[in-house]
Amino acid sequence: MSGEEEENAAELKIGDEFLKAKCLMNCEVALILEHKYEQLQQMSEDPMNQVSQVFEKSLQYVKRFSRYKNPDAVRQVREILSRYQLAEFELCVLGNLCPETVEEAIAMVPSIKTKGRAHDDEAIEKMLNDLSLIKKFE
Amino acid sequence: MFFHIVLERNMQLHPRHFGRNLRDNIVAKLMKDVEGTCSGRHGFVVAITGIENIGKGLIRDGTGFVSFPVKYQCVVFRPFKGEILEAVVTMVNKMGFFAEAGPVQIFVSNHLIPDDMEFQSGDMPNYTTSDGSVKIQKDSEVRLKIIGTRVDATEIFCIGTIKDDFLGVINDPAAA
Repeated sequence: MSGEEEENAAELKIGDEFLKAKCLMNCEVALILEHKYEQLQQMSEDPMNQVSQVFEKSLQYVKRFSRYKNPDAVRQVREILSRYQLAEFELCVLGNLCPETVEEAIAMVPSIKTKGRAHDDEAIEKMLNDLSLIKKFE
Repeated sequence: MFFHIVLERNMQLHPRHFGRNLRDNIVAKLMKDVEGTCSGRHGFVVAITGIENIGKGLIRDGTGFVSFPVKYQCVVFRPFKGEILEAVVTMVNKMGFFAEAGPVQIFVSNHLIPDDMEFQSGDMPNYTTSDGSVKIQKDSEVRLKIIGTRVDATEIFCIGTIKDDFLGVINDPAAA
């Protein structure tokens, strides 16, 4: 399992399959799972019995750690972050953790500062500002 | 991290399910079989969100069962080494503490808890700084970094650390 050994999210080594896949922020997962849960509720009396433990735990988790609650804000976050040439994975880590300072952002997502990428501190700061604005006006 | 990915699976179906409800039956069986499972490669399958396509069925020799290749979209949760995420503390003991991030369990050993935090036993065991300003106990929310994963057939287990910049308690239920 040599692929397993080299895995390191800090350097964005998460395997081709996941690098190309669509990442989801916690708030997006919350929207998807709640929608699915409502559908189940309409079909049966006791939806909690219908779902797996994995589903139940994930739903609780994303509800607890969603930074943005309303669907419009969630969409805006993705739109704003996608202007900054981030990888999907980086975008979602930032959206989930909402770092407040440039230093914190770089600690959370070290790969944005790697060589050959055009993120200087100013650009990162602007991005964090944009994010906190959404939160404020939600 | 949660991902939205497309996976493929061969579904074997008994002929009694054939008829006009064939598609529904395949989808129902797929959900029952796949949701809640875990594989080392793709992580935990949380929910199926859509079916991309169902291929032509192939009759298995001798049994009459037919297998259909099904492509489906699903939400999976896959932890990565080096990933930073938030988790809820579920148990604290003198070896360290356990936390949960969705379906995955993460253990943080006391070697990976900052040195200024001491273990306090009692009916609410916890780790506390010497000045008592920061406390980790059951139900605390912490931000941690995954430094190792162990995968077996049906579960992924992680080792984490909070001994780094910008990691540690983000919300203490007792303080709130």
